[in-house]
Amino acid sequence: MKKMNRTYLMGTLALLLAAFIAWQTTMIPERMVSNEPGPKLFPFISAGGIAVFAVLSMIFDGPKDDGKPYLDKAGWIRMLIIIVEVLFFCFMMNFIGFWIAAMMCLFLFFWTLKGDKKINIPFAVILAIGLASICYFGFTRGFHIPLPSGTLWKSVGIKMP
Amino acid sequence: MEAYLNALTTLSQPTNFIMMYLCALVGCILGAIPGLNGGLGITLLLPICFALSTELSFSMLVAMFVGGVSGSFISAVLIGIPGSASSVATCYDGYPMTKKGQAAKALSIGITASFMGTALSILVAMMCSGAIADIALMLGPWEYFSLCLMAITMVVGLSNGSIYKGLLSAFIGLFLSCVGGDLVTNQLRFTFNNSNLYGGINMVCLLMGLFAVQQVATSFAKGDQKMPEVDKSTLGGFGLTLKDFTDNARNIVVSFLIGLFIGFLPGMGAGISNLIAYGQAKKMDKHPELFGTGYEPGVWATEVSNNAGVGGALIPMISLGIPGDATTVLLLSAMTIKGLQPGPMFIQQNPDLAALIFLIVLVSAILVFITEVLTKRWFPYLLKAPYHYLFGSILVLCLMGAFTSTTSMFSVYLVLGFGALGIIMDAFKMPTTPMMLSFILGGKIESYFRMGCSYARGDMTTFLTRPISLIFILIAVFSVIGPVITKQIKKARSAKV
Repeated sequence: MKKMNRTYLMGTLALLLAAFIAWQTTMIPERMVSNEPGPKLFPFISAGGIAVFAVLSMIFDGPKDDGKPYLDKAGWIRMLIIIVEVLFFCFMMNFIGFWIAAMMCLFLFFWTLKGDKKINIPFAVILAIGLASICYFGFTRGFHIPLPSGTLWKSVGIKMP
Repeated sequence: MEAYLNALTTLSQPTNFIMMYLCALVGCILGAIPGLNGGLGITLLLPICFALSTELSFSMLVAMFVGGVSGSFISAVLIGIPGSASSVATCYDGYPMTKKGQAAKALSIGITASFMGTALSILVAMMCSGAIADIALMLGPWEYFSLCLMAITMVVGLSNGSIYKGLLSAFIGLFLSCVGGDLVTNQLRFTFNNSNLYGGINMVCLLMGLFAVQQVATSFAKGDQKMPEVDKSTLGGFGLTLKDFTDNARNIVVSFLIGLFIGFLPGMGAGISNLIAYGQAKKMDKHPELFGTGYEPGVWATEVSNNAGVGGALIPMISLGIPGDATTVLLLSAMTIKGLQPGPMFIQQNPDLAALIFLIVLVSAILVFITEVLTKRWFPYLLKAPYHYLFGSILVLCLMGAFTSTTSMFSVYLVLGFGALGIIMDAFKMPTTPMMLSFILGGKIESYFRMGCSYARGDMTTFLTRPISLIFILIAVFSVIGPVITKQIKKARSAKV
């Protein structure tokens, strides 16, 4: 299999980003304020800077790239699992509220991150429930800072503690 | 002197003293938890201040401020995730020290450096806050622009690896700082009609995504789930010798001056000074290649400088009524709540209160220092917690911290987005520090540049004709070109040999 040069890939992505920023910048309406460059200047500078240094990096760093893969196949699978779990937590936090979502997902994170190690399930469950409850009630009751209470409960008319 | 004696009498009242100590401890704990900070504690205290006396209110608020800044290094050293932006650079050498089994030494340096930075800066503030504030007023947008530019290029020039990738990272940070309403005309940019982006990108989200989510995801994906070992023999005692101080004396003095200077500039703060001091320490050191590998001077530089910003930030707040950083904005709000008028006349009109604020900082710093030294032996036991429990909990705490910073789910999704960006940058071996710094400074650079142009009626040469501004710009240019030229000279020399 042919090795992928990550610097060239990075450069290409950066050039696409620069083009996108430049295109979006052209759509910013200009408000006339005398003697000052206006709101488009810095976005254009950032787009130009990204493009220039992406090219320079491809020219000077590209040939030095060893082409070693960032992760092996198992590593990418592990990465995918943890990202999906974090996304799941965010979705559940909004849907069923922070308290219950945190209990569930803390246990899920403990289970996933343990890898090949053994885990004391009752301890993990107690820790997940305890930590989620301390955070939830500490913030909502102690500090009066709201945490998501869950759109599901709102829609069915149940009031969460 | 009489004002300080009165302040001492006020502070020695049991209620004031106990509440100050408790708030300093709470601030320290909040500062140590990634995603939370002393600013959150101050926000929570503000409504309570309505019902309390002015003296008690400020005893609590200022102590919380000091504790928050002091505690943020703990998580940076132990788990490599900064408690706040002020300890970003502490991760670079503090965490590698922990990985090498030197957690106790790194903590001792952090505790001592934090105390030295705070105590010395407040002594300077006590003695010459008026005179220093006058200097800040002499600088215009031209100097502030050049200073911000210099700060970014210095950090880029000193980042490990390719300078082109460092600069690319800095320009991405500059772009991110453009998101939201621009600071001069309030024109919305890159918001895609999403009202959550009107105020720009939240710093907490960037920090939590780039450090916490990225670190947990990549360490798990790479199968690097080992917790660092702790050398138990080094846990007891103070942990530092006189030689540690003498070896780092120059580094401490320079970092202190950087922290104090950045701190007293309105709008700057510890989030910037720690990175600049780290870069400067690396530049000055005989072994710059050791930075990032668990090298003690790196921790000294960052922790002295970010805490020196405490005294520095109080100088413009007390003398001019201008906040030095985001937390001092909250302290200014407390002054307004209490019907006080911060500004040039504040010290003359309220000498006892001004003295009390300075004294609270000093006493809180001493109390936090003593408490941290006495409890230091137990901090590394955090590393005894299994990886899956510790980092699983950190993930949830960080996402909760992001939500509480704006009480919006959008912030949580932003953390995920920046986590993904952090993973991509790690895969491309692109440093994140330049992006972080230019994100923090981007808004200021733009507004100072545009203000400078506007004040000079469109004449951009003013940036080069004002001497201080020119010096900063020359340093900025040399910071980028210098390493490239040095590399070429070295190449040419080795080719000759």
